[in-house]
Amino acid sequence: MTSLLATTVAIPDVIVFAAGAVMIMIGALGVITSRNPVHAALSLILTLFGIAVLFIEQQADFLAAVQVIVYAGAIVVLFLFVIMFLGVDRNEDLDAEPLAGQRSMAFVIVLMAVGAIIALGAEAHWVVGPHSVSGVPGGPYQNVYNLGRSVFTTYLFAFEATAALLVIAVVGAVVLARRSGAANAEQPDGQPENEEVAS
Amino acid sequence: MITELATTMIKMPSIDYLAILPVLILIGGAVLIMAITAMVPGGLRRDVATAMTVTTALAALISSLVEWHRVLVQGATTTIAHAIVMDGFSVFMAIAVSSCVILASLIGHDYLKREDISSAEYLILALISAAGAVLMASANDLVVIFLALEILSIALYVLVAFNPRRAESGEAALKYFILGGFSSAVFVYGIALTYGATGTTNLTQIVDFLGQNTAQHPGLLYAGLGLMIVGFAFKVAAVPFHFWTPDVYQGAPSPVTGFMAAVAKIGGFAALLRVLLSAFGTQAATWQPIIYALAVASLLLGALLMVVQRDVKRMMAYSSINHAGFILLGVEAATTRGVQAALYYLFAYAIMTVGVFGVITLVSGNGDRDTDIASYRGLLRRSPLLGACLVVLLLAQAGAPFTTGLFAKLGVLSAAVSVGSWPLALIAMVSAVISGFAYLRLTLISVRPVGAPTDVDELGVETGVSAPMHHLGATLMLEEELPTEVEIAHVGVSPVALTGVTLAAAFTIIFGIVPGPLLSLAHAATMSLLG
Amino acid sequence: MIHFAPVMLFFPLLGFLVLVTFGRRMGEKASGTIATVAIGLSFVAALITFLGLLGQSNREVTENLYTWIPVGSLHVNIALLVDPLSITMCLFVTFISALIHLYSTGYMHGERDATKFFVYLNLFVFSMLVLVLGNNLLLTFVGWEGVGVCSYWLVSYYFDKDAAASAGKKAFIYNRVGDVGLLLAMFLIFDKTGTLNYLDIFGHLGSFTTLAATMAVLALMLAAAGKSAQIPLFNWLPDAMEGPTPVSALIHAATMVTAGVYLLCRMNPLLSLSPDGRVVIAIIGGATAFVAATIGTSQRDIKKVLAFSTVSQIGFMVLAVGTGAYVAAIFLMICHAFYKALLFLGSGSVIHGLHGEQDIDRMGALRKFMPITFATFLIGWLAIAGVPPFASFWSKGDVLDSVYRHYPALWVLGIITAILTAYYMSRLFFLVFTGKARFDEPAADGRPAIHDPHESPKVMTIPLVVLAVGTLLVAGIDLPWMHAHTLKAFLEPVFTTNLYDPNESSGLQIILAAVDAIMAVIGIAVAWVAWRNGPDRPKLEPKFLANVWYWDNFYDAIIGRPGQRLAQEAARADVAVIDGAVMGAAAVVTKRAQALRRIQTGQVRHYALFIAAGLVAILVFLLVKAFHP
Repeated sequence: MTSLLATTVAIPDVIVFAAGAVMIMIGALGVITSRNPVHAALSLILTLFGIAVLFIEQQADFLAAVQVIVYAGAIVVLFLFVIMFLGVDRNEDLDAEPLAGQRSMAFVIVLMAVGAIIALGAEAHWVVGPHSVSGVPGGPYQNVYNLGRSVFTTYLFAFEATAALLVIAVVGAVVLARRSGAANAEQPDGQPENEEVAS
Repeated sequence: MITELATTMIKMPSIDYLAILPVLILIGGAVLIMAITAMVPGGLRRDVATAMTVTTALAALISSLVEWHRVLVQGATTTIAHAIVMDGFSVFMAIAVSSCVILASLIGHDYLKREDISSAEYLILALISAAGAVLMASANDLVVIFLALEILSIALYVLVAFNPRRAESGEAALKYFILGGFSSAVFVYGIALTYGATGTTNLTQIVDFLGQNTAQHPGLLYAGLGLMIVGFAFKVAAVPFHFWTPDVYQGAPSPVTGFMAAVAKIGGFAALLRVLLSAFGTQAATWQPIIYALAVASLLLGALLMVVQRDVKRMMAYSSINHAGFILLGVEAATTRGVQAALYYLFAYAIMTVGVFGVITLVSGNGDRDTDIASYRGLLRRSPLLGACLVVLLLAQAGAPFTTGLFAKLGVLSAAVSVGSWPLALIAMVSAVISGFAYLRLTLISVRPVGAPTDVDELGVETGVSAPMHHLGATLMLEEELPTEVEIAHVGVSPVALTGVTLAAAFTIIFGIVPGPLLSLAHAATMSLLG
Repeated sequence: MIHFAPVMLFFPLLGFLVLVTFGRRMGEKASGTIATVAIGLSFVAALITFLGLLGQSNREVTENLYTWIPVGSLHVNIALLVDPLSITMCLFVTFISALIHLYSTGYMHGERDATKFFVYLNLFVFSMLVLVLGNNLLLTFVGWEGVGVCSYWLVSYYFDKDAAASAGKKAFIYNRVGDVGLLLAMFLIFDKTGTLNYLDIFGHLGSFTTLAATMAVLALMLAAAGKSAQIPLFNWLPDAMEGPTPVSALIHAATMVTAGVYLLCRMNPLLSLSPDGRVVIAIIGGATAFVAATIGTSQRDIKKVLAFSTVSQIGFMVLAVGTGAYVAAIFLMICHAFYKALLFLGSGSVIHGLHGEQDIDRMGALRKFMPITFATFLIGWLAIAGVPPFASFWSKGDVLDSVYRHYPALWVLGIITAILTAYYMSRLFFLVFTGKARFDEPAADGRPAIHDPHESPKVMTIPLVVLAVGTLLVAGIDLPWMHAHTLKAFLEPVFTTNLYDPNESSGLQIILAAVDAIMAVIGIAVAWVAWRNGPDRPKLEPKFLANVWYWDNFYDAIIGRPGQRLAQEAARADVAVIDGAVMGAAAVVTKRAQALRRIQTGQVRHYALFIAAGLVAILVFLLVKAFHP
């Protein structure tokens, strides 16, 4: 067991990690501060890309590739598609502040939470023990192999259980999509009452 | 390369299908309904869909009983790479959840008919959500717990938004979704930190790890524990993570509220109990003060705010917060007695709350409009059976004798006292007194005849300028004049929903008079959790 | 014949069920008759059980009806404990209840929902019997709550009257405070002995330390203070007089309010472990007796005077318990049940005859108009005033003897209270029945004149006469020179060695008795001088006393108002923070979606902020914990 801070880490590792972390942070801030939804979606790509960098830093190349292809590629593109399609790509008014002091308080509290977690983690002793994907994956296929083994052994049930989530996603999407149609039908003026939910 | 891989063929873990049978049945039933709905022209008939759901839940219930037998013979077993555990505890929860599904689908039947919403999706989501709750109780791995939590929650988000004609419904769903997502993120972060501290997400292995290693600086473990508690506390609506509760309970369609109040609480507490007592049992001294604080806040805030509510659904939301505080009392004790009491309380509460929301569903009328307490005036006269059920269920929530409520409260209180948590027990009693007032108020409003002009004021409201001596009486009440001219809508009672409500009330009474079976069930479940 | 015990419970329950099911269709007269007959039969059953018990050598019989909670360490049976104490209680409870039921059929004639009145009344008697006969604390608690709920319903019987509604609430809240005491006591006792069964508890008294015993005794005293209207929870009882007069007579004078005293007597072996607890009990009892008596001197409502008198008399009973004179407490309880029921029913008859007038300023000279009421009230007055040879002289005398022996200071207080008792009852009597008639002219505040006050119908006077005869005879159950054969000997097994045995020399006893008698006469004489001619003596009715020592204002200031403010603040926060969202939702159809979104996101952000704050609190705690294990 070694302390987190005492762990010797190679300088390049630190640099890559820092770069990835900065990308994630900038992207995340961009998502919530952009006035234009399209910009927000693009910032999201940056965040997801940063996560891919972190995967690479941990030598999980396969996951990094999947991350870029599936999330940064497919999913965010889908987001953009919907945003454009619905025509909500206009600027939001973010200056209106319904609750005074909310933002500064949120900032302080989040800072405190992060600080507390870091403080708790800093003095903690890391475990040097068997992780689920044990050992440093070496060789061209080890990465996929370890992932596959994990998915079909330790996390077999978790893997299967996601199927239920997908069923809900399908049914829920159908329900909510139909729901906005029904709501519009109810209201002749066609004014969307809760477009947040519908989108 | 190929040969190297071939030499280390993946050995699939063995699967004991009995252990996941209730989950499989619930999800299978949902998929079956979905498939048939898609194939039958014009969709599945409403009553057929309800009948299928009830059958599915009954099958899950029966399979749980089969499991119970097996557990009694063989004891607790884990399966699928130790991700799933089958013990008395998980079976107990499966029984509770299945019972709630039966009641909720009966009650939902009439609601959907009245609101003219298609049944199939509602029932599919309810079944899968219930499967998530069962899974939370039988999961032996933090990742599975997280997935189960999401299965439970996401289905609920959609269910809350289910009535397209009520703006509140959509709004509540959005709030629930955003805050739920927030808490899930916190929870999963907790899992990550726990993994970082122990090197595993498997509860059994966490126990082993903590048994073999004594960390000098367990900060990381603590952080993971704390974040996970926040996630669970959100799910079970413990103060200060309860903020979504009143809005969502009020906004959601009434039968969904009942279902959610029962099943989400069962799932949340099941996982909470298993993680805290089984995985982190050695760290009890660390998490007990947190649970203590949550319990105190939930007990007091729930009871206090409950009394000032006029909207019955909102009132029941605060009531559920108060009940969460009571259950936490048993968790905090962290003894056999405490867990047993918490389990019993959970089961009793779940049935009661589904029943109460069944009554609310029927009384509220089209569009869930009549949820003001004044709408309950003279319910006993207008609809004797429904009124009688409401009275039983409310008195049970207040902890009246000859209902399950008494043993529930008695159990957790004595558990708290037996570990020396005197102040906590005292606070709980005080909160029971305060909340008892709100229950009694609604009870009496339902009992009083319709014609009496001031019957609502009598209990709820201080009228006129009062002499000082009346202030004490007024203290705990609603300081607002209730309209005396409330239209008393006709209560459209249909046999299906009434059956559900009556079953809930009958359960509450029968197991209040003959508490033995349920108590011993809870006892056996506890023994298998704590060993 | 012991097996008749369940029958006692059966008849009131049957009456309740029949009335609640068919009452409406049967009408007022039939339901009144059924209710009365049910209680009458219950009395007969109690009598038979009593006779059966007399024939037994072992007079402690447990009738197990049903095992209620069979699991784990908690093992509760629904069982009846028939012993001298419980059967004594049952006898007088059912007897007086039967009479008051009969009286009610006349008094409640023509009232709205009279049927419901009898439903509650029968349920009350059932609950009271459960309370008394239960063989364990939990069953007693069930009855305890049952009588509380019935009392609450009956107090707010005229719920369209504000005062009645508030009085009901007040009674409910004060009683709940007391209930917390009983729950606490149950937990403590269960914690120490592992059982709630009376006889088993008494078998495990060894596990109590003195401190634990004192705590349990104090918790029991809190329970008793709530139910029996003792300091600091006494002032719900006078307000409870807003209920119909038969209710005041039955529940708030004769039976329910003595439940606290019964509980303390029942738990006497526990009390014997805690001398400190007994001192507290004695002081509370003495203080209550005194305070309530002083207040009684300055009240103008006929029922309020009687209510404070009840509080005062129960104070004497509690005082007796505190000195270990349990038999004296029970003796006083029985005597009190008779004469106080008589006085209340008499006052009901007066109120009935004066068409609802309760102000003693507006009475006077009623002896001419209501001869039977007058005669019976006279007996009740003499009995409570402590004039020999009437009931209170003997029973209160026993109490004071015991107090003299244990706490001389309290004895002085008791003697002063005895004078006050004689004084305020005489004041009441003179103002109501003698002097000049004051009701036949309109009052200053505009109340109309009352003409032709009339004697009450037979159905009301018969119970008065029976109770008057009972009051005359009741002292006979425990006269000092025949202790060996009467109530004391009968109850002895229950209290065994815990019972204080008055073995004063008979000389001292006679002196004490003489003092009692003289005090009674002094009280009456002072009242005669002051009140014979009319009510205008404002100096004798100080505001401080008329306003109940400002006791309500005190509670109001320290609990009521801050509590109200707290609830209001909570409600306001709820409205502002949480309801805002819902209001917004309700307005969604009419208002622009933009406005709604702002409200919505604002709210959710707010919630998220609180959740994050909670998270930080937990993390900070863990941080401290991690570094300072």
